Amino acid sequence: MIAEIWQYLLAGIAVGAIYALIAAGFVLVYQVTGLINFAQGEFAMLGAMTAASLAGAGLPALWAAALAVLVASLVGALGYLLAIRPARKANPVILIFITLGLSVAIRGAALFVWGTNSLSLNAFSSGTSVVVFGGVLSPQTPWVIGADVLVFGALYVFLRHTPLGTAVRAAVANPPIARTFGIPLATIGFWSFVAAAAIGGLGGVVVAPITSASYDMGLTLGLAGFVAAVLGGLDSLPGALAGGFLLGIFEKVSGGLISTGWEQGVGFIILIAVLVLRPQGLLGHTVRRA
Amino acid sequence: MKEAALEVQGIGVHFGGVAALEDVSFAANAGEVLGIMGPNGAGKTTLFNVISGIQVPTNGEVVFAGTRLRGRSIARIAALGITRTFQTPVMFWGLTVRESVAVALEAREQPGTYPPSFLRCLLPSGIGWPSRRAFDLAVLARADALIAASPLASLADRPTESLSFGEERLLEMARALALEPRALLLDEPLSGLNSGEVAQVLNEVRTARERGVAVLLVEHAVEELLAVADRIVVLDHGKKIAEGTCKQVVANPLVVDAYLGDEVA
Amino acid sequence: MRNALILFVAGITAVWFLSPYAQGLVALIGIYALVTLGLNVFMGFAGQVSLGQAAFVALGAYASATLALRLHVSPWLGLVAGGCAAGIAAYAVSFITLRLRETYLALATLAFGIVVSVAFNELDFFGGSSGLKDIPGLTIASWNLDVRGYAIVAWALVAIAFCFTRNLVGSGYGRALVAISSGELGAAALGIDPERLKREAFVLSAVYAGVAGALYASYVSYIDSTSFGFLLSVNFVLMSVLGGLRSLWGALIGAAVVVLLGQFLQNVVPLVIPSARGDVQSFFFGVILIAMLILVPQGIAGRLGSWRRA
Repeated sequence: MIAEIWQYLLAGIAVGAIYALIAAGFVLVYQVTGLINFAQGEFAMLGAMTAASLAGAGLPALWAAALAVLVASLVGALGYLLAIRPARKANPVILIFITLGLSVAIRGAALFVWGTNSLSLNAFSSGTSVVVFGGVLSPQTPWVIGADVLVFGALYVFLRHTPLGTAVRAAVANPPIARTFGIPLATIGFWSFVAAAAIGGLGGVVVAPITSASYDMGLTLGLAGFVAAVLGGLDSLPGALAGGFLLGIFEKVSGGLISTGWEQGVGFIILIAVLVLRPQGLLGHTVRRA
Repeated sequence: MKEAALEVQGIGVHFGGVAALEDVSFAANAGEVLGIMGPNGAGKTTLFNVISGIQVPTNGEVVFAGTRLRGRSIARIAALGITRTFQTPVMFWGLTVRESVAVALEAREQPGTYPPSFLRCLLPSGIGWPSRRAFDLAVLARADALIAASPLASLADRPTESLSFGEERLLEMARALALEPRALLLDEPLSGLNSGEVAQVLNEVRTARERGVAVLLVEHAVEELLAVADRIVVLDHGKKIAEGTCKQVVANPLVVDAYLGDEVA
Repeated sequence: MRNALILFVAGITAVWFLSPYAQGLVALIGIYALVTLGLNVFMGFAGQVSLGQAAFVALGAYASATLALRLHVSPWLGLVAGGCAAGIAAYAVSFITLRLRETYLALATLAFGIVVSVAFNELDFFGGSSGLKDIPGLTIASWNLDVRGYAIVAWALVAIAFCFTRNLVGSGYGRALVAISSGELGAAALGIDPERLKREAFVLSAVYAGVAGALYASYVSYIDSTSFGFLLSVNFVLMSVLGGLRSLWGALIGAAVVVLLGQFLQNVVPLVIPSARGDVQSFFFGVILIAMLILVPQGIAGRLGSWRRA
């Protein structure tokens, strides 16, 4: 019994690492622009599909990965300029609908490019599973966790220890004052969106060897990452990390104990509970009205 | 002796370490205009928010006609007979002027059951029951009648989005009066109005007073306030520093200090 | 109202002469139009958001189908049962969700939609992942309705709902809804209880969706949880926005455009892009949704005809 629960726990950590990455993208965009970006999962899908098809065409893994992240970022930039910037002033609900439309459009475009096939990507390191205290992890999982460390670490260093990052934090904390200092809010919004797309793309790349890639993987990934973000606190990056792992563990443990079908449902029950009981999430501060 | 309609007892509002209001007590009587004065940040709007139910006070109580207001929802408090206007008028975008007033009238028509109950209103409305339909048209006609004497009459069909600021204020006032409240809280109703509109509003205030309404009037335009108020309460930094007739308050050195030489004297 | 009835009669006559394929489309548009009509009351008039409307359709469908299969309840009564089931669920859920603002309400309805979908997938009582099959269809004097019949029933329901809703929003009730959607604080200060009005609009939208779902179950005779997922909810939002959120004709127009355009794209796109398969219309719908929200937020019908009666 203990061994089973330990395995569920490990599975939860493995999937939680992915959720944390997606959540990071959500939180980044929300913190800077107040926007809830429903298209976040689609950036992961783009990263995964692009990497898988490029690698499948013979490109070395590292190049495939880099180009995949680039593609995701470009689509993010395009999406921001075409769909979000024109509606910047609209009320938050309209913006939610727009990001929904964006996610549908990106998914539809992926359907044109890759069809309904699922593509596979080789794990970054060869070898069989990683064994931890009798539980088994896919050899790709350390790479996912590594991506987590990279992304969260980079964000932390950037935001806390660089002048540009500090300017971003100032602009976010106090928009009117940031304007008087000449910090361009619109540009920061744009670049945070692109960064979130890149992070999402990277997430897709490291996840693809585990889950394989298909045009509709963005929906479930996005929704899960989003629940993780709300759980941890939409305005807290550490919250995204914590929320991701907590959600993953909760999903897999309850999924193992009840039934796997309930995994997704469990996440959304948690979401409702958070929204009602503690809307700012575990580590968040304010319930921000965009 | 006029009976006290609205009693504010020891109201305090604390946010973290800041006291927006501290032990404020006074009474407003029926058929009287009580002016509420004070420099910016004195807590006047917070006071109104407490009375109307938007802000829960940290301590103290508001009693209206014998009923304690604490913890009641905004709508419940309004149904008891207290209504207010806001510093920035709240408009119902999407409705015309006539319809906005009609909303207020309908809220009045069936106190306690508005919004309409399913059997009495929703179902008959949906089916198009003749008596319900007639009631509806009658309400719109009464809305017209209500604003007939005001500049709003010529604007009855206009969407509220097209109104000027002064017209918005007049509309908000008309809505509040349509409710026939027993207590009326006016939050800076004169700011942004031209002299004609100011006269109009002050007229409405006097009419309300004659009807026995307890009017609480927050206003920065001190001259106008002194001209229409029967008594004044002065707030500064969340505390009540003076209360009395206009003459008494004007002569009070504390009040003069607080305003630092405004045109009180 | 006169216009609606004329259109309805004209519609029935027209349907008689269409091919079964077209009749099927008409039936489907009718079912979706009913859902969108309710959604417009909740989103357009009351100014709220629902990203989980498909859940209410599912509740109606499963309620009616289960009653028909297990208790041999007539599918006609199933229509009523479906509406009630969805309505009761909406009433219960509203106490938790309607207190939330805008964004958070959207998320809560989204979550609700998915939880319901997962629940129907997991609960064996409702067929689990295999769903429910051989759902009895509607009969008139032991004669099964054909596609034409379903189209007529669907649009009869739409006509009734349309008239009811038109009366409702054209009266003081509609004015109160608009008031709380744009000036909630001001409305509350007049004594109007916003939460109660939102709840009623929410329940109304759910009842419409539930009835539509029950009809759908009888029409297609097989349902499983994949028919009622998040993407369907997004589709309903698209229909609302496209037609016009605060417009009743818009609900009908939006449903029609989405269904017909979808069919058109499904047939045409594979000719142009040979590798395209599956939901080929999604890309275009996504773009259309974005374009409508930015350029024509009042929708197609937003300018045509007012919701006011007087």
